[in-house]
Amino acid sequence: MPELRRDPIIGRWVIIASERGKRPYDFVKEKDKTKGGFCPLCPGHEHTTPPEVLVYGRPTHNPNGPDWQLRVVPNKFPALVIEGELDKRGEGIYDKMNGIGAHEVIIESPNHHETLANMEIDQLVLVFRAYKDRIIDLARDTRFKYIIVFKNFGKAAGASLEHSHSQLIALPIVPQIIQEELDGCIRYFDYKERCVFCDIIRQERSQNMRLVDENEDFITLCPFAPRSPFEMWVLPKKHQSRFTSMDDHQLYQLATLFSSTMKKLDKILPNVPYNYMLHTAPLRDSHLEHYHWHIEIMPKVSTIAGFEWGTGFHINTVPPEEAASLLNKA
Amino acid sequence: MDETKKKILVVDDEESIHLVYKEELNEEGYEVISALSGEEGLKLFQEENPDLVILDINMPGMDGIEVLRQMKQMKPNIPVIISSAYPEYKQDLASWASDDYIVKSFNLDELKNSIKRHLNKTMAN
Repeated sequence: MPELRRDPIIGRWVIIASERGKRPYDFVKEKDKTKGGFCPLCPGHEHTTPPEVLVYGRPTHNPNGPDWQLRVVPNKFPALVIEGELDKRGEGIYDKMNGIGAHEVIIESPNHHETLANMEIDQLVLVFRAYKDRIIDLARDTRFKYIIVFKNFGKAAGASLEHSHSQLIALPIVPQIIQEELDGCIRYFDYKERCVFCDIIRQERSQNMRLVDENEDFITLCPFAPRSPFEMWVLPKKHQSRFTSMDDHQLYQLATLFSSTMKKLDKILPNVPYNYMLHTAPLRDSHLEHYHWHIEIMPKVSTIAGFEWGTGFHINTVPPEEAASLLNKA
Repeated sequence: MDETKKKILVVDDEESIHLVYKEELNEEGYEVISALSGEEGLKLFQEENPDLVILDINMPGMDGIEVLRQMKQMKPNIPVIISSAYPEYKQDLASWASDDYIVKSFNLDELKNSIKRHLNKTMAN
């Protein structure tokens, strides 16, 4: 019997419609063929990217030279542009403003074939440190209210280029998905005077039904009402509303758990396309008691079609308890 | 044949695009050669030595992104301008191998300006 489940934070419903007998490998569609050819992100091709805004690991002063461990560059074809004023205005009942924002790309490694599943922990620390450094820097621009960091991996997830990279967009508004999450967290906090994410972590650790992995500071779990088979959330165990509040020790702990989580995913669904998104508190808010930053990992194994668009419901064919059990043992 | 004429290779699976581009770019003084698939485009790229390429992405068989990466691997200094009806491929960083990304429009001014800019840059180098 299918089951309807309600997400406790934003109230989104999902249908858990388990397809019996389907094994994890059945979700991996045709493996992306590595196309090869010219890669604009590889060392030696720095001239094909805009000049870097952040670089780690370059031993000598050689701007945009090939000797680096990680680079951050503005997007060559940005969705939003950095120059200009917002010029907020109305047109009858409609609101609009200029498309101002910062769109940057984090080139996570000089090694073309490295993935998050096989990357060294120290390199992954650099990736998360770059997210932190760029968010802190861009937050000084008062036009921006929110910064979203995300990764597309694999063609089905929007990235046909194999070279490991993630993206960051600084926005002049708080995205609706984040606002709904914040509103849900406030409702829960107003009622219970506790952070809903802290309560989820407490319950999941005690029930141990959807727990994937944990270490000293972080936990990976499959949420109770996942939109996608094998959806996972990575959260700090102690309450923290901002990603940028992490110290060096936490960055290392996050990298360690994230690496282990991505290895597990790769073992269960080899080379599966995925997206992940960092959800952190809006830039202009101070420390929030009701909000808890986290990373949402969404393997791209299902299709969003008319039903999902029309209702906001997602149909998930793998119960999170089953997904967590497989991932946990991987 | 005028040896000073710049040669532009247009790779697109839509014949109507070739008709429009050929007419407009001939008027601008360019020689235009046409390929109706990615595979044919790569072949002409090697045989005809174009000065610039205008490349569609969404094509049956070898898609434009794959063609782009092969072209840049072979001759990195030949400018390749992506001309696609879909802006969303900009989010795919493989498109960064191109020199410009233009969303198809009835007005070809943006495309013509980009061609001029990139041909001038090539000549200056």
